[in-house]
Amino acid sequence: MNNKSNSLNRRSFLHGTGLALALPWFETFASARPEVDQTPKRFVSVYHPDGVGLPLKSDPAWKDWSWFPRGGEKDFELTKVLDVLEPLRSDITIYSGLSHPASRQVHGHSNADQYLTGAATGGHGPYKNSISLDQVYAEHAGDLTRHASLVMSTNGGVGGPRGAQTQSFNREGRPIPAMNKPKQIFDMLFVTSSKDAAARLARSKSALDLLIENTKSLGRQLSGHDQETLKQYLDAVRDTEVKLAKAQRWIDTPIPEVDTRNLHLDAEPKEARLYFQTMYELIYLSFLSDSTRVATFQLGRENGEGPHDLLSQAVGLGGAHGLTHDVKSPNGWQNLGTYNRYQAEEFGRFAQRLKDTPEPTGKGNMLDNTLAMHGSASSSFHLSRNYPIITAGGANFGFTNGRYLKFGKGNEDNQAGAGIVTDAGWQGKVDVEELPLAKLFVTILQRLGVETDSFAGDTGTLSGI
Amino acid sequence: MKILTFNILLVFICFDTILAADEHTAITLQQAKEVGRAKSRFLKAADVETKAIDAIPTANVAYHAESVAAILNKSCLACHGPEHSEGRLRVDELNPDLLTGPDVERWREVYNVLSNSVMPPEDESDYALADTDRGNIVDWLSDELNKASLVRRNTKEHSSFRRLTKYEYNYALQDLLGLPYALANRLPPETASEDGFKNSSDLLQMSAMQFETYREIGLQALKRATVSGERPESVTYIISTQEEMEKLTGKDPAKTFDTNDDSNSKQRNQQHLFNRETSQGIQFSGGKAKPQPDAVVGQTPAVSPVVLVLPRNKELKLDLDRFLPDEGIMRVRIRAGRSTMNPDEYASLRLIFSAHTSNNANFSQTISERDIPVTASSDNPEFIHFDIPLSDIQRNPFRKLTTTFPRRDEFLHIRNVSNAGAGEERLNVLIDYIEISAPFYEQWPPKTHTDIFFASNNKGDEEVYGREVLNRFLRRVWRRPVTADEVDQFMGLFAKYRPEFSTFEDAMLEVLATALATPEFLYLTQRTTTEATEGPARISDVEFASRLSVFLWSSIPDDELLQLAEQGTLRNPEVLVAQVERMLADPRSKRFPQNFVQQWLGMDGLDSVTHITDESLKEAMQQEPVAFFDEVLRHNHSIMDFIHSDYAVVNERLAAHYGIRNVYGPQFRKVSIEPQTNRGGLLTGAAVLAMNSDGKDSHPLKRGVWMLERIIHDPPPPPPPNVPEVDLTDPEILKMTLKERIADHRNKAACVSCHSRIDPWGIAFENYDAMGKHRTHINNKPVDATSELFNKQTLAGMDGLKRYLLTDRQDQFARAMVHKMTAYALGRPLAFGDRADIDSLTGQFFRNGDGLGDLVHLIINSDIFNSK
Repeated sequence: MNNKSNSLNRRSFLHGTGLALALPWFETFASARPEVDQTPKRFVSVYHPDGVGLPLKSDPAWKDWSWFPRGGEKDFELTKVLDVLEPLRSDITIYSGLSHPASRQVHGHSNADQYLTGAATGGHGPYKNSISLDQVYAEHAGDLTRHASLVMSTNGGVGGPRGAQTQSFNREGRPIPAMNKPKQIFDMLFVTSSKDAAARLARSKSALDLLIENTKSLGRQLSGHDQETLKQYLDAVRDTEVKLAKAQRWIDTPIPEVDTRNLHLDAEPKEARLYFQTMYELIYLSFLSDSTRVATFQLGRENGEGPHDLLSQAVGLGGAHGLTHDVKSPNGWQNLGTYNRYQAEEFGRFAQRLKDTPEPTGKGNMLDNTLAMHGSASSSFHLSRNYPIITAGGANFGFTNGRYLKFGKGNEDNQAGAGIVTDAGWQGKVDVEELPLAKLFVTILQRLGVETDSFAGDTGTLSGI
Repeated sequence: MKILTFNILLVFICFDTILAADEHTAITLQQAKEVGRAKSRFLKAADVETKAIDAIPTANVAYHAESVAAILNKSCLACHGPEHSEGRLRVDELNPDLLTGPDVERWREVYNVLSNSVMPPEDESDYALADTDRGNIVDWLSDELNKASLVRRNTKEHSSFRRLTKYEYNYALQDLLGLPYALANRLPPETASEDGFKNSSDLLQMSAMQFETYREIGLQALKRATVSGERPESVTYIISTQEEMEKLTGKDPAKTFDTNDDSNSKQRNQQHLFNRETSQGIQFSGGKAKPQPDAVVGQTPAVSPVVLVLPRNKELKLDLDRFLPDEGIMRVRIRAGRSTMNPDEYASLRLIFSAHTSNNANFSQTISERDIPVTASSDNPEFIHFDIPLSDIQRNPFRKLTTTFPRRDEFLHIRNVSNAGAGEERLNVLIDYIEISAPFYEQWPPKTHTDIFFASNNKGDEEVYGREVLNRFLRRVWRRPVTADEVDQFMGLFAKYRPEFSTFEDAMLEVLATALATPEFLYLTQRTTTEATEGPARISDVEFASRLSVFLWSSIPDDELLQLAEQGTLRNPEVLVAQVERMLADPRSKRFPQNFVQQWLGMDGLDSVTHITDESLKEAMQQEPVAFFDEVLRHNHSIMDFIHSDYAVVNERLAAHYGIRNVYGPQFRKVSIEPQTNRGGLLTGAAVLAMNSDGKDSHPLKRGVWMLERIIHDPPPPPPPNVPEVDLTDPEILKMTLKERIADHRNKAACVSCHSRIDPWGIAFENYDAMGKHRTHINNKPVDATSELFNKQTLAGMDGLKRYLLTDRQDQFARAMVHKMTAYALGRPLAFGDRADIDSLTGQFFRNGDGLGDLVHLIINSDIFNSK
């Protein structure tokens, strides 16, 4: 059968998508800037809450179910948790000894908010976040594609302060709502009624002008406090204006046709395997079609709740969050490890797919031009240290893979905080030294082409990457 | 005044002493309500009510110096002083000025533990607090806290200015346009506040993506509400049982059977066609239906002797092929009757839609919003109908293929959902005529269209008519009168759009869609006023109308409400009472129990539960607290019925779960229950018990936390550091019962302070398992559900818990109820500064007799609800 996207389109989904429509491979645009290398540099971050399993060496489970590899930089040995990545060994780098200093004393449940931002989001009191790594890059590369970034999570929306359901935060530190329905993401990326898009765009501009005027006049009749609330609305309208200006440039290019064979657009988080694969495939297709070069994907939310807790059903386990608590139950470490292994497996499948696809511009494969990061903001049991991080790809912009990189001092065997099975873990005293994760972020940004030497207040790069 | 309150406290203490004896079990729960009510602080102390204050209140620091400080030092300093400062509290360092000092929140904690007799611990006899001393401090604190609250109320800014929630926006759009469909599913979900409320002003964010979604939804909804051009041709299928029988018997006469012959009972119990004149039957379960080009819809043919017999749980599956349109309403009209009229049995029809999308796969979904009961007798069958929006249901994505594989056809199933017994005289549904038509229009153009583009003499003049349309539309959208300037602004936009569209309507729809994205539609506004007022400024009449309708209807005001507000008469007492009554009698008021209860009790929790596999049970569980609240609201029962009632509100499925006999049918109704049913009130609802379980067994901690947060509004502090996890690999621990395990955990020094506040509440629920079923044994051991509260009060299981709440905690529960409902009504979290209002409201409420319906009126008439 004809499996192209357009044969699946349903009129009811077409209405109104015109606003943001515009297209990749904008030749005239690209040729207008001949100095720009047309090979895209891409960045994707996948976040999983709740951390990983770190049993003590003395525990029989240590050998197989400790997340971090054993051994040195090149001769490292993957445990059962990550052995699914063995085929990609030469394309990945595993890090230990990195964390965000501002949150080291914060309970892991609050930490999804700051994984990509490094902000002192804290555990109580007033809340303020800052721009996330992906959005810094999106500010730089977002204009080159139809969508500045693709923000996804299993739970969708923004969540709440210290309970983020999105990994992406804008310049003002405001959360960017994540999309969680494959169908909706697909439609945003690949379905369009572009014929009247230009006219629509012009009409939108007039409508936004009116709305801004209308909002201002309402604002004058509100209290100072309420004006602050209304400002958020006004910002939303202005952000939309910016989007319109951008869409204008892409308006005449045809929509890319993509192969939809691996998509199950009705998949829901409870069908975790199908859902994960579809979400990853959507990132893959958006990259392949150069619809965007930046993506984030959050698998669940910290501290369970909602669809997230259903994800571990993919490996026959109940309650994803509970797995971190139940490590002392029979097979506890194995169960948590099995769930983490499954996350690594899906990430590996995605990386492999990029690797198997030649770069459309001819320069290597897609993985070489993509830095795919996978990690969590806690290691052992809510401990906000020693983030378990893997990156894959990026060979064409400076990443030398096939390595296990240990940073900091005093925790070469990852035993600091290991074996913790109490909620106190996050407050426990840890005497080892770790380096700021922001240094890795600076390295990443520089290699992606962003001129910066600091992130979240920390200056400098990570040496030896 | 000091002396008066003091006496009341003595009365209070006397009651306590009496009850401390064994009388607890001697009285019924109903009597416990009377006893507890008599104790109420609110009932006795008329002066608790906050009066308008003339002067700025000042702190009574002197009384602290001369009396309070010494008593606190004597009874509290040992643990909350320089030596030990448990809970990081030092009573010797608290600033005694509650009005300007920084320690108001700490004082509130002190007030709570002293007034609930939680502190000092009873086993610390050296530090016992004499009743008179306790009374004096509580009295002083109560005064100071109230004054502080008043001061804050007049200084700190609160705001109910907020965006509509996703569900409110959906209802608003539905009511505005007359579209009964879910329109806002694409919006991101809302985050609940600490109180569990999703309409809390400080959490309702707005983003560019959301804004765009609003614009898209608005335009889409307008396009759905309006039409253009000629009435479209409908696809119509007519199934006449008479004709089907003729076809079948003509094809294969040998397949008929005599329905009177008992040897054919097997065939009789399947769906079949039946000729009532000849008693002849033939199997019939559906088949291919063909559209009939010249069919006339809405006919009422003579009742046929041939009927389709649908026994319980059987269905007719019609293959509609691939001819249904993509959009529009599919109306399914079915003439049906019951074969028997036993009132304990019911039968209803449900529509299911399906397709076979590959050799081994198909999908099917229920497309009817609710089952429609069949009530007529089969001799006088009546039509029932379903309206299904075709664009909103899962369609067969392959129906447009030019090839025949995968299959392109779509199936409509008509199913009999019933509780019919298996006796001699079976209840079946008998159907003799089915009509399926899409797109279906009641009238042309439809009312949703003429509500926007109404008849007018000025229709020929786009300038004039455009203004008329806009004026009417904007007034509804903004819930206020509209100025000519404002209409001008939108006419300006119309002028820009008009050349791009072939019709006036198409251009105007785009303009109206813009109106649906204005902040005054998406937000609940409250304008500042220039007129000087005393105390907090009142919201205007039209703003009040919106606040009122969002409270009771979760939606915008209707025309009547708006008109009264514009005339300035809405808040005349007799008008307002009548309007509130009218609103509560309107079907839209169903949304109030639905949304309030859902959020108040945290019913979302049931969605993530996977151990209830029976969907009808889960649905019944979910509906029960809403139906119960509805019953209490509509009959103005006492809110103490939430703690315990001698009735339950159940349907057949839930009654079976609870072991309540003689409840038939899917609808919820009030039934009297005996004590041995072990139900009554909200605490023993299966949903609450099941969602606060771990999927296999009860979860006392979750239940305790739920109880504290949701029912008595005394949320426990977050877990402290250094809490060891229960080590389930320890064989000694594995041997213990759950209660023993909890006790073991609690006995650890780090855990005791919190858990002794939480666990006892949850352990009292132990007679209920993870499905919410009552039990007397766990693993052959008798259930031990007795527990002791922090204040040494013993709770003998659920009965003891209810008894204790009813005799000793009515004030706390009533205040919690007032607090929760007011927070919901205002759409903002209540702060310390609202305390005086809540106290005053609770006082009035209690004195009026604590009926839930009265509470709604009381809140609507309160200062706080009428203020910015």
